[in-house]
Amino acid sequence: MKYTTFNQINNNPLTEPMFFGNPVNVARYDQQKHQIFEKLIEKQISFFWRPEEVDVSKDRVDFQKLSESEKHIFISNLKYQTLLDSIQGRSPNIAFLPIISIPELETWVETWSFFETIHSRSYTHILRNLFGDPSSIFNDIVENQEIKKRASDISKYYDDLIFATQLWQTLGEGSHTINGVTHIISMRELKKKLYLCMNSVNALEAIRFYVSFACTFAFAERELMEGNSKIIRLIARDENLHLTSTQHIINLWAKGKDDPEMAEIAEECKEEATQIFLNAVQQEKEWAAYLFQQGSMIGLNKEILCQYVEFIANHRMSAIGLGQPFDIKSNPLPWMNNYLNSDNVQVAPQESEISSYLVGQIDSEVNADDFGDFDL
Amino acid sequence: MSNNKDSLQVNIKQHKTVLHQPQRTLLESIEVHQIDVHFHCREGYCGACRTKLLSGKVEYPNFPLAYIDDDEILPCCCYPTTDIEIELA
Repeated sequence: MKYTTFNQINNNPLTEPMFFGNPVNVARYDQQKHQIFEKLIEKQISFFWRPEEVDVSKDRVDFQKLSESEKHIFISNLKYQTLLDSIQGRSPNIAFLPIISIPELETWVETWSFFETIHSRSYTHILRNLFGDPSSIFNDIVENQEIKKRASDISKYYDDLIFATQLWQTLGEGSHTINGVTHIISMRELKKKLYLCMNSVNALEAIRFYVSFACTFAFAERELMEGNSKIIRLIARDENLHLTSTQHIINLWAKGKDDPEMAEIAEECKEEATQIFLNAVQQEKEWAAYLFQQGSMIGLNKEILCQYVEFIANHRMSAIGLGQPFDIKSNPLPWMNNYLNSDNVQVAPQESEISSYLVGQIDSEVNADDFGDFDL
Repeated sequence: MSNNKDSLQVNIKQHKTVLHQPQRTLLESIEVHQIDVHFHCREGYCGACRTKLLSGKVEYPNFPLAYIDDDEILPCCCYPTTDIEIELA
């Protein structure tokens, strides 16, 4: 079905499925089929923050004090997070918006993606502070084999859905031969691709950030790179909300509360969805091994990080009905909770070190020579 | 709000029975007894503290955003209104 930016059929959005119904026409939020997305939008907007509000200047001094292996850990994590948010800043928009059928979900996806772009901008803010010219760091993201391996696994489900949607929108259902390759497009196949893509995104939001988060907060436990840690706390708060949204979508489908065909597909693809999650767990463990290949950092090692990934995976897989495949029962990094607690995220300007807020106000640094021309 | 009722019992399966502390969330009441409950946001939007409610009733002053099943509760933002029995994840 051809996409239209304003569907002129006077349809009732309260009876549309989340995806693959009529395209959305009026952006109205006075009524919602699934109220949760409107509430998520409100919450996400209340979280608004700007990277520049966080003073990262002290991190530059701290960074010089890190050992070579610690620098490798810190920079590699930033590269990986930059990759994740590069993908997440655009892909939900491109993959999901053309097939969404209810206004509250459409706006949620746009709000979600917008926040991912804030995250991307914050990585530039952090890196520009550490290096006069961060080009070599950014360039390595498309060169580094460890990162590329992950990139293709994350983007393939998106790319698959996007391509199939494009064929469906231009040519409709049927068998289409493009450049000598035959593609079978049916609504059932499209919905399956959507289901797998949503599971891949859910796994990304659920665990792919957490090895990096743990390293960042382990530095902060030693009072190092604290500006970076403040930014990562804000990012972690957002990512928890994004995860909540993909969990809701997956569960609305599975429980038959939206499109009944999606409930069948959820049942049919359970094995594949589990595998997507387990592959992400495996890749995160390999990432931990890559981070610590040149040596550990105080407070963290590969084993404990892998245990943490399993612990978090248990929780997050059970939230979407995939059970708890790992034996681990207690949190190996309990101090992580303190950094992921929204009470500890400072947002009020007067509480955080916002340079723009302080300029021309108070300079708290006083040197002996400031009193040079001071007479009594 | 009925969360200021005192002497409500919280029976935690495989742990012990504790007393709900008036004016505290269920999570805070459990933490007083040094029982570990997994949490992140403590505001009801992340679902990290998702717990099975085996019997009894709880209420939420604010609508919780996290996904929970029909037999699950979010201790970080709920208040028991009767004696309850729960099973930690």
